[in-house]
Amino acid sequence: MEIDIKHIAKLAKLSIPDDKVEMFQSQMEGIIEMVENLPDIEMGGALIDPDDTMELREDVVEQSYPRDEMLANAPRMAAGCLLIPKVVD
Amino acid sequence: MEKLYSLSATQMKDLLDKKEVSSVEITKSVIERIENTDKDIQAYISYNFENALKAAENVDKKIASGEKIGAMAGIPVAVKDNMCTKGLRTTAASKMLGNFVPPYNATVVERLIDSDAIIIGKTTMDEFAMGSSGENSAFQIARNPWDTTRVPGGSSSGSAATVAASQVPVALGSDTGGSIRQPASLTGIVGMKPTYGSVSRYGLIAFGSSLDQIGPMARTVDDAALLFKTVSGYDEKDATSKHYEYKGYGDSVKGMKLGIPKQYFGDGISAVVKEKVYAAVEKLKELGAEVVEVSLPSTDYALSAYYIISSAEASSNLGRFDGVKYGYSGSKRGNLEELYLSSRSEGFGAEVQRRIMLGTYVLSSGFYDAYYKKAKALQKMIAKEFDDALKVCDAIITPLSPTTAFKIGEKSDDPLAMYAGDICTVTLNIAGLPGISVPCGFDSNNLPIGFQAIGRKFDEKTLLTIAKAYENSVGGFAVKEF
Amino acid sequence: MMTNYEIVVGLEVHAELSTKTKIFCGCKNEFGAEVNTNVCPICMGMPGTLPKLNKQVVEYAIKMGHALNCTINGTTKQDRKNYFYPDLPKAYQISQFDIPLCANGYLDVLVNDEIKRIGITRIHIEEDAGKLIHDDDLGGTLADYNRCGVPLIEIVSEPDIRSGEEAYAYLETIRKTLLYLGISDAKMQEGSIRCDVNVSVRPKGSEKFGTRVEMKNVNSFHAAQRAIEYEARRQIDELTHGHEIRQETRKWDDVKGRSMLLRSKEDAQDYRYFPDPDLLTYVIPDAKIQAIKDSIPELPVQKAIRYMNEFKLSRADAELIASDKDIAAFFEKCLSLKDIEPKLVSNWILGDISRVLNDRHCGINDLALTAESMSEMVSLIEKKTISNAAGKQIFEIIIDEHKDVNEIVKEKGLAQVSDTGALSAIVEKVLSNNEKAVNDYKNGKTNVIGFLVGQCMKESKGKGNPSILKEMVIAAIESM
Repeated sequence: MEIDIKHIAKLAKLSIPDDKVEMFQSQMEGIIEMVENLPDIEMGGALIDPDDTMELREDVVEQSYPRDEMLANAPRMAAGCLLIPKVVD
Repeated sequence: MEKLYSLSATQMKDLLDKKEVSSVEITKSVIERIENTDKDIQAYISYNFENALKAAENVDKKIASGEKIGAMAGIPVAVKDNMCTKGLRTTAASKMLGNFVPPYNATVVERLIDSDAIIIGKTTMDEFAMGSSGENSAFQIARNPWDTTRVPGGSSSGSAATVAASQVPVALGSDTGGSIRQPASLTGIVGMKPTYGSVSRYGLIAFGSSLDQIGPMARTVDDAALLFKTVSGYDEKDATSKHYEYKGYGDSVKGMKLGIPKQYFGDGISAVVKEKVYAAVEKLKELGAEVVEVSLPSTDYALSAYYIISSAEASSNLGRFDGVKYGYSGSKRGNLEELYLSSRSEGFGAEVQRRIMLGTYVLSSGFYDAYYKKAKALQKMIAKEFDDALKVCDAIITPLSPTTAFKIGEKSDDPLAMYAGDICTVTLNIAGLPGISVPCGFDSNNLPIGFQAIGRKFDEKTLLTIAKAYENSVGGFAVKEF
Repeated sequence: MMTNYEIVVGLEVHAELSTKTKIFCGCKNEFGAEVNTNVCPICMGMPGTLPKLNKQVVEYAIKMGHALNCTINGTTKQDRKNYFYPDLPKAYQISQFDIPLCANGYLDVLVNDEIKRIGITRIHIEEDAGKLIHDDDLGGTLADYNRCGVPLIEIVSEPDIRSGEEAYAYLETIRKTLLYLGISDAKMQEGSIRCDVNVSVRPKGSEKFGTRVEMKNVNSFHAAQRAIEYEARRQIDELTHGHEIRQETRKWDDVKGRSMLLRSKEDAQDYRYFPDPDLLTYVIPDAKIQAIKDSIPELPVQKAIRYMNEFKLSRADAELIASDKDIAAFFEKCLSLKDIEPKLVSNWILGDISRVLNDRHCGINDLALTAESMSEMVSLIEKKTISNAAGKQIFEIIIDEHKDVNEIVKEKGLAQVSDTGALSAIVEKVLSNNEKAVNDYKNGKTNVIGFLVGQCMKESKGKGNPSILKEMVIAAIESM
């Protein structure tokens, strides 16, 4: 099983330096080899479990947080917003 | 009063109730102990001493004025650094969150504060709880008090080390694949991973959301139970939380049926570990328990299912660390892509990157069915096997860690060898069941060994009862003089 | 050239739901607040936070599902759609993948005077992303997270739409339905309703779909229509020149009236969907689903179609009345109270009543006017008890006063005289005073009858029933 490390890294937004690709490659392939010996079992349809369900929330307003607190950890900010490199789309 | 720090939480509570000591005295003793020993133990990423003393003064005031106090009033507690503490740096032992100060408290932290517990500091761990030795911390490697050249286990390495070194009586850990039980076992303390859904995950920095669970670590069963009782129960902020009612525990295993699954006593488990676990089973038999053989044939697949599910969830959970909103922001900011890549590649350690890559791979187009979906189906199969086994017995007894504590650096270059050590612990997380680690002896190097008791969903009572009965029978667990 | 090809369009509409709070936290769901003030650790995606699904979002989505004749999946879940973008704080959007809350429905829309049925593939719930503001002065982009976690429904149509005009009619009908159900503000200019357009073309008669192109940045319904027309023309042009259509995403520029390549298929995202482990399966009981269904009023388009069929109203009249649920209710109540001509009631509503509502900027329920008095009045006109002019006098009173219509008729003496005994003296007098007109009539100039009836009306001081007077005048001349 060959894994396209560069492609996976691109999806995961990680930059793997060229000299580390091989290490990642062999480690990942080792792990994949370990997890690949799964038996063939009936997988059923969608992944839902009607026996284990959650409660929903009522539509009631709760106090939001002060902006200063919410942005206190921001690396860069301006005009009450987070500042990021120019996004073009 | 000397050596106040070495008392159990229950003993501290007793002295406080009798007004023989003050909360400030206990807190000062604990702070002094940590200051004297932590350079050797390396358990804490952040200390909370100033606030702890303020909280202790407040408890003393409450006691003096006859005001009602909480169940853990005046008891110093250490908290693993992946649980958010408002105003107190919370790093998950990652460079990524090196300066992160949460604007809110995790529900468990909120409950500790409500119970008047004294939060003494934040303990180190494997980065984002990924690891079994504590060596994946971006900041420091906690030491095993029984032999400081060895790891305390992980990922709750700091919590295990600080309790085992009698720096604090109790600590909170989190357990995704054994991260409470394995370090408890390697440091000779009690650690319990409760049933999934019994303790709120709100404010726990997620690793594998469907597997993560917070639990207590302590030197006595009573202390573990006290901490568990304080933090457990339904939380409306966590949609996976259940209406859980703490049911207490007894001290007799008379008539209890204990299942022994042969799949957990295979070649991978060292002889001394097997020997001590079998001895513990014999002891429980002497105390009146009945032993039956049970079979859990899918155990071999559990490790694979665990790595697929936990890595898949982690790859998604850790997407938010992108250098934009909080935490580490990368060195390259020319454009958005550069900011993302440099923040994540510089901010995450090697193990975290490996798991993100694995998780991304198993969820990626064309592989989802073969890996993730299959692992989820396997998870159901494993859970079913446990359910069936726990119909013929009240609890299952197994080894916990295949070996005793290993040397720092011994395994850290080989992820597969490290993963294989999780074989006995991950099945519970996969099945959502509770498990407890109970100290049951030492190897020839005087390193602790623990056995694991696995219970039915929401039946922590049986696990605590087994642990308590065993603890009484051995006259309490050995504590390392340190 | 166009005529040899058929246009195939599918639409994805995103509508923000007007709940009080966001989908996964208690922050206010509100437009226009100061930047980053309606935020909390949950919608900012802080580490450790967990989502809690808002029940109202689920119920609103089910409402829309019923309105679009969907099957409701009462047992479902939320999935994570993973991608990196600075408006998405968690780097995943909590959405629904393989089990949408609603599926397999349809919507009838009116295109010109034709009814067109458009299939609905699915409706699912998800969270909105934040807003990015591009700032040249700062040389960067600003992120405002107020909109993060605002609840959305995504409505995906089948590729049943065959023209820009049909697309426009579909979008308008969706918008009206959202408004009618009271579940969304559906304001294009505030971005609370947005659409993505999928366009392909195929030779007429072909069963096989052509290669699909997705159009982004379509900011109004008219823009959707223009984008479809442009894109279809572009594709047909490519095909007639022997080129292939590439599967790609294009960006519509409404000002320039053209689209340009945004990304090709090779750059397609791999969203790595999987069930959100923070949110378990949830079950909406059948009884609840039924109760929501029962609570839904008839939708404007359905109502208009019924008015066209049942009451023989024109499309324009039917739609106008059906578009306001209070007016529609008033209209139907009038018809249920008296056996009267629907067209007459419709004329009153679209004429005099609409004029008053416009002048006063109010709704029909703000008037004192009742369906009882309105239907009584129309009935009196229809029975010719009063004249149309008398009706207008009565209308001016009953719009503001609760007064019995028959009382007004009596008080003001508005009843027409239909008693032939009382009218014969008048007819006799008028005919003897207008010998010339009578002779003209006899000589075939029958149009003088209007003049003679008018004279009779004048003589009766407006109370004579004109049609009876007409019959009497004709009978009298012919018996001379």
